[in-house]
Amino acid sequence: MTQNSTGPAIPLRQFGKSSARISALGFGGHHLGDAADEPTAVRLIQEAVDGGITFYDNCWEYHRGKSEIWMGNGLKGRRDKVFLMTKVCTHGRDADLAMQMLEQSLRRLQTDHLDLWQIHGVAFDNDPELFIRHNGAAEALHTAKQQGKVRFVGFTGHKDPNIHLKMLNTGFPFDAVQMPLNAFDSQFLSFEKQVLPELNTRGIAVLGMKPINGHGEPVTKGILTAQEALRYAMSLPVTTTITGIDKPEVLQQNLAVAQGFQPMSPQEMQALRDRVRDQAADGRFEMYKLSLKFDNPEARMAHQFPLDMQSVEVKEMLQATKNTGHPFPKTS
Amino acid sequence: MQHGHDSTRRRFLKGAAIVSAATVSKGMSLVQSQSNISAARQGPNDSVPHRPLGHTGIQVSAMALGGYHLGSTRDQQEANEIVARAMAAGINFFDNAWDYHDGHSEEVVGNALKGKRADAVIMTKVCTHGRGKDVAMKQLEQSLRRLQTDYLDLWQIHEVIYENDPDLIFAAGGAAEALLQAKQQGKVRAIGFTGHKDPRIHLKMLSHNFPFDTVQMPLNCLDATFRSFEVQVLPEANKRDLAVLGMKSLGGSGEIVINGAATAQEALRYAMSLPVASTISGVDSMQVLEQNLTVAAGLKPMSAQEMQALRDHCKTYAADGRFELFKVTKKYDGKVGREQHHFPTPEELPA
Repeated sequence: MTQNSTGPAIPLRQFGKSSARISALGFGGHHLGDAADEPTAVRLIQEAVDGGITFYDNCWEYHRGKSEIWMGNGLKGRRDKVFLMTKVCTHGRDADLAMQMLEQSLRRLQTDHLDLWQIHGVAFDNDPELFIRHNGAAEALHTAKQQGKVRFVGFTGHKDPNIHLKMLNTGFPFDAVQMPLNAFDSQFLSFEKQVLPELNTRGIAVLGMKPINGHGEPVTKGILTAQEALRYAMSLPVTTTITGIDKPEVLQQNLAVAQGFQPMSPQEMQALRDRVRDQAADGRFEMYKLSLKFDNPEARMAHQFPLDMQSVEVKEMLQATKNTGHPFPKTS
Repeated sequence: MQHGHDSTRRRFLKGAAIVSAATVSKGMSLVQSQSNISAARQGPNDSVPHRPLGHTGIQVSAMALGGYHLGSTRDQQEANEIVARAMAAGINFFDNAWDYHDGHSEEVVGNALKGKRADAVIMTKVCTHGRGKDVAMKQLEQSLRRLQTDYLDLWQIHEVIYENDPDLIFAAGGAAEALLQAKQQGKVRAIGFTGHKDPRIHLKMLSHNFPFDTVQMPLNCLDATFRSFEVQVLPEANKRDLAVLGMKSLGGSGEIVINGAATAQEALRYAMSLPVASTISGVDSMQVLEQNLTVAAGLKPMSAQEMQALRDHCKTYAADGRFELFKVTKKYDGKVGREQHHFPTPEELPA
């Protein structure tokens, strides 16, 4: 692994019960698609690898494939240095569709295998049932692992700790679980309280996300700093904390916290929880737990929820289908 | 509370009106035989049955007129006609809220009930959304003035839908104290709360053992199998002898009917067959009222088997909340509550 010679290393942590080790900070793929242009994105990835980030997050539906394509180009020649994850977006649909999505993701990411493949956005009460049913996505996870196309499997979701627990109770052997973890979450519909201890007990790798609440609203409003927020999330008993990176200055800011990372003391963590308590109690800074607006249009379609025509994702979806005559965009 | 779906609602109701009065039994039902029929000018066989409002001694019609939609009528005249026709059919229970159409709904109902106050059971709701007792008492005075009355039969805390609402309501100087004070002063006869979001929040409210007389909640054939008020809250309310007021019998804006999960008649009958005091239904035109009366007048409750069959039929539609958007989105959450909780406005966050 290449390390930035100027700074101390980002700590590596054991991935669940396996022998794999990944960096305590993960590179979020959605924001990569928001980078100014492809060369910027490629440079961000290269500098992140050089800076010691080994965990790369992505998803089949991020920016209609752009995030995966840009990441694939950024990782050219560096694939072996990283632990690459992407997610599959069946949202309750069949195993066959999942396998098609896997092939598309592998092509876009220019690799023959994923280190981790996860079910994306488990957000609705019936998603666990749809996942584990006959010919559901659970079968695809199993098949892909057997075929050697993915090393590990998991699931993600930002909605409700009870749905995560329901997924765990399907009995499927997950290697990793991803969820929102931040100071606000610690006291509102809390993944930290309800799900994290269960994963630690089971020895499942925990991937934290939304360390600054998705789009940094509490930082913008001056409730806490980005550094405090990120440090809190990384101080929890997790394997990595995934954070979105769309600009060089964001990368540098994150590397500054992660390189030679010093965890918060339990007292510091409690002080931060106490500080945000009032604003956390009704979920106003965790709208991803409360509103369909923060669910992916792919998921909304699969569940027959109305689409929000003003959302960026839906506009991208429409743009991608323009003049093709196909209801869904052609993928590479 | 939601806005701007009136046209959708009317569209589906036109379709549903095809199911006509022919489906309504001429026989006298059990509930009806127990009802107080004195308020009905029609014969006992086709009036809307009355039921006790819990332990309050008040009798309410098994169907109530939703106040939000009365504020959406063309003009006062149309509202007057709807109210007169409803009362002639046996409906005596009128729902409202301080914030419906910024007070217009209360004014419309106040005008429509002129000279009929004694025959009506008037409810309205207070919209402190976490603010203190003083705000509540001011809103009460405004509501009384708009409704042209010196007392309410029922005053409820509106939209208990945020996780920390119970804490705020029961904090020292909170809205719960206003309910007690208003009752002591004789300005309200009964008190309660409402909310459309999550059974857990309702249970949190009940766990305070506050002397509520009523509790209002969504009750419909989809709710029965998804994040269910029917399963989690209704038995608890019945056990505590609270009067239960059902709402959103068709999904809030008719989603259950528009998408074919059930017909309007099935959905209404289901809701009205539960152990509730009344089912509140929004009515903004005579056509909608007549449709509701095909079920409510001479109500024939479903059998336990019929109810179970409908639950089973609706199960797949219910499972992810797609037609109960008030539980899974911000779409039905009112403006005042959002402001008090510093949430984005309906324009900024429609869903």
